[in-house]
Amino acid sequence: MTWFLPGLLLCAMAQAVLLGPLSVWGIRPDLFLLLVFLVSQRVSPEAATGLGFLIGLCQDGLSGGPLGLHAFSDSLVGFLAARLSHHMYTDKPLALFWLLLGGSAAAGGITLALLAFFLGPRLVLPALFRVILPEALYTAAVGVLILCLPQIRAALTRST
Amino acid sequence: MSLLLRLLARYRRAVILTTALVLSFLLMTLQVRHESGVVTFTRQALLFVVSPFIKVTSATIRGVTGTWRDYVDLRALREENKRLQLETTTLKRRLEQLQDQALETQRLERLLAMRQASRAEFLTARVVGKDATNWFKTILLDRGSLEGIRRNQSVLAPDGLVGRVVEVTPSSARVQLLTDPVSAVGGLIQRTRVTGIVSGNLGAGARVRYLPLMADVAVGDEVLTSGMGGVFPKGILIGRITSVERKSGALFQEATLQSAVDLSRLEEVLILTNLDVREGFESGAGSQP
Repeated sequence: MTWFLPGLLLCAMAQAVLLGPLSVWGIRPDLFLLLVFLVSQRVSPEAATGLGFLIGLCQDGLSGGPLGLHAFSDSLVGFLAARLSHHMYTDKPLALFWLLLGGSAAAGGITLALLAFFLGPRLVLPALFRVILPEALYTAAVGVLILCLPQIRAALTRST
Repeated sequence: MSLLLRLLARYRRAVILTTALVLSFLLMTLQVRHESGVVTFTRQALLFVVSPFIKVTSATIRGVTGTWRDYVDLRALREENKRLQLETTTLKRRLEQLQDQALETQRLERLLAMRQASRAEFLTARVVGKDATNWFKTILLDRGSLEGIRRNQSVLAPDGLVGRVVEVTPSSARVQLLTDPVSAVGGLIQRTRVTGIVSGNLGAGARVRYLPLMADVAVGDEVLTSGMGGVFPKGILIGRITSVERKSGALFQEATLQSAVDLSRLEEVLILTNLDVREGFESGAGSQP
């Protein structure tokens, strides 16, 4: 896990600076959540919870939202992803896509619920269609591309 | 004691998960109820650690983009010597670059003109980063408290209001855009002098809320800052009304607002460092942006 801190820093820089031009209708993939998934596939659920908390805290520090908002959802998602990764074939791109999509949508749902609880009621449908679902789809697609890069490369080599 | 330790060891997963969730919840509660020193310190420390890297990355990207552009130009020029038919393409590329530079100069000239026309004091800053989530709309600037930036200072662009400073470290500052869902700006419809609250609308620009039901509000009306609330000076252009909604049974009407500034393409901004909020821009020497 020596790569965790450099990975977190890289994630922070990419999310704040590099992903700007890649945004579609103002939505960017959530690299912090991808890091949570990456970590959760390699460590125990306890460690995934703690590291998810740290990742979320860092994301909150770099955002305008309250500190703890993403720490809450990321620690929960980290825990669940670590538990599920032992039961699912997460080396299969399609399974990974659904896991990422579900995880990202769940994290979005938790964030919306917490925002509504702490900052007053939010409109659910606009949040669902303008933020949660587009972000989940984009994150899942980018996540499959990044996490399955070795498999994609191997498949391309075999085909040529 | 040993029983407690055994219980903790047995249910360590649940204990760790619960601790993380409760800690997060506590952190949020602390911030919502009042400004907590611990939370402010944590946020500033995080920003302080990460913002130099973000600034370096942003500067590196600008440098690499420039070098890459120069490299591409050089290649194009070499090829131009070999094949004259590429001349038009190269010239077009060069023209695009010049247009870019001209636009940048124009932007900076407008910022300078605005700065000179007003009695207020401005500080120019470059945008180096965006919010790390899709939920909030904030930007990171390359200047901080060492240059005189303080919390709640207004941030403007030549076309109008951008937002306000919400967080400051010695070398960087975070600005909450007016489209942020937690942002609220006192607005005034210029034509009819009706007041409302301009606030962000999740992923869909901004809305003017709490407009009196019988008030005269029409599409195309310009909305300015009202100066109420003590944060933004009066008379800064916020945007234009694009639609008006009057729901039956509602106490107020609402309107959607198109921001005067394209907030997704901000590169440089002005920070209002010294202006009496009561003085405002409308009463100034024609300094409305």
